[in-house]
Amino acid sequence: MDKWLPDPLDEAAIEHLERTTPVNSAGFDPFGLDLGTALRTLKASAPIYRRWFRVETHGIENVPEGRVMLVPNHSGQLPLDGMLLSMAMVLEGKPPRLARGMVERWFPSLPFVSTLFTRCGQVVGDPDNCIELLRRDQAILVFPEGIRGSGKLWWDRYTLQRFGTGFVRIALETGSPIVPVGIVGAEETYPAVYNLKPLAKLLGTPYVPITPFFPWLGLLGVVPLPVKIDLWFGEPLVLEGDPNGLDRDIQAQVERVKDEIRSLLDQGLAQRPRLTRRGDR
Amino acid sequence: MKVLVTGAAGALARIVMEQLVEDHEVVGVDVRRLLDGRLIPGPFEYVRRYNQRRMADVFRRHRPDALLHLGRARSMELSTRKRYDQNVLGTRYLLELCAHGGVREVVVLSTFHVYGAHQYNHVLLDEDEPLRAIQTFPEIADSVELDHAATTFLWRHREARTVVLRPVHIVGPSLNNLMSRLLRLRRCPKLWGYDPLMQFMHERDAARAILLALTGDRVGVYNVAGEGVVPWSRAIRLAGRRPMAIPHVLAYPAAAALPERFFPDHLLDYFRYATVVSDQRFREEYGFTPAFSTVDTLGAVRR
Repeated sequence: MDKWLPDPLDEAAIEHLERTTPVNSAGFDPFGLDLGTALRTLKASAPIYRRWFRVETHGIENVPEGRVMLVPNHSGQLPLDGMLLSMAMVLEGKPPRLARGMVERWFPSLPFVSTLFTRCGQVVGDPDNCIELLRRDQAILVFPEGIRGSGKLWWDRYTLQRFGTGFVRIALETGSPIVPVGIVGAEETYPAVYNLKPLAKLLGTPYVPITPFFPWLGLLGVVPLPVKIDLWFGEPLVLEGDPNGLDRDIQAQVERVKDEIRSLLDQGLAQRPRLTRRGDR
Repeated sequence: MKVLVTGAAGALARIVMEQLVEDHEVVGVDVRRLLDGRLIPGPFEYVRRYNQRRMADVFRRHRPDALLHLGRARSMELSTRKRYDQNVLGTRYLLELCAHGGVREVVVLSTFHVYGAHQYNHVLLDEDEPLRAIQTFPEIADSVELDHAATTFLWRHREARTVVLRPVHIVGPSLNNLMSRLLRLRRCPKLWGYDPLMQFMHERDAARAILLALTGDRVGVYNVAGEGVVPWSRAIRLAGRRPMAIPHVLAYPAAAALPERFFPDHLLDYFRYATVVSDQRFREEYGFTPAFSTVDTLGAVRR
């Protein structure tokens, strides 16, 4: 078993994670994280990270200690980008850290997946949850584009969608640095050409993508394309200002973060084969 | 201090009264009769309803200084309409009697159910959150209105010191409430694919929190909780039982079709979505720390 599925973390790393994750007598933190389940899931999915997507990180040492907000571009229909980024933080972070992903609000209504995600430390993306986690000096992972980003079609790849502004207000309120992240590659995992909105409405999901493989190949169509994924971490931004300021002022700060992500994406795309390159509109 | 305790025939009230009687005088009142052979440390008054004339008589005869309202009818006990009568009308009448009778201390035991189990809930709900419970199930309106009646009394009658407690699931070896009974089943039902976070509190911790609220000097609404959170399936295992998964598409219609005392369907949401409350305010202002860990609490449910 261990030959096929080697432990992705050494003992020192696991010990460090155990020490830095406060849990109660039953082994859970108030958000439902269970370190054992999280580590087992990590072990099972490490080959996806290493072999399938061949993830490479650039500048992960930019992530500061203590409270921090990771803000990447969002894409790829399923939140694979968030999953891979969280895995990168544990596997490659020095020291390893659990980044708590903020998931969509409709998520808890999904059986099985929602349970597993909760055990692995993912949290419903409510501002109160964000603030509480940052006050506990955790690293959180926010996709301000939300479903606007993940539901993008093929021709919109690497085009940043409208960002929500809440994350900047929360960063200002909690004094958390923002680390912009450019995720290059995840935008190509599901080349969606159409969003079947009526069916999405019926199923209660945000979108139902039609790709060259889904739904034509059934479950096989859910398998993402094996695109190499690069994670580019930017310098931490320490924003200053009034968290209850005017929307106009907050928007300016959002644009600053967005520009950083855009330049990280450009930097990353420049190093990839031409086929996938595409300018930001 | 003379304390009138409602719900006195219940197990939790007995634990509270046994500790209370060391320093205070206790009068028990309930809409249920005392079980054979059970005694409470003080006189016991039986009333048919809390909003009955006889209740005023009890106040006149005993002239209590404090009211400890633990007599909230749970979902298993009565039909929705009767529960509304007892919990809403009963509570309002009791509080009215307190206002007229010069009662100085009022402690009302509400429930965390008032926040509702909702997929949009964030974790660690504090006392200022909206009470969403009735959004999906009107059957739970009685609990929300009981809570509301108590908080209204708190603001309107500042001459009395009022504390409203919203405890999480109270479980323990002597309790016979829904949660304790569930955890004593050999195969304990859970919804397939859902495993919400829950909070549990040992009956002795709950009794201690109630006493603290009664003898303290703060006014307000407080969440009260045990040590930590635990998913339902783990809770079942910690209680020494095995979970039995039921698909939610079957569980909801089944619970609705079966008589309410079998399993109240409006409580099913609490087994699907998490309702995790923050008890930070109570811990800080009352200096309360639960004595039982989550593991010990659940381990103690089995008799």
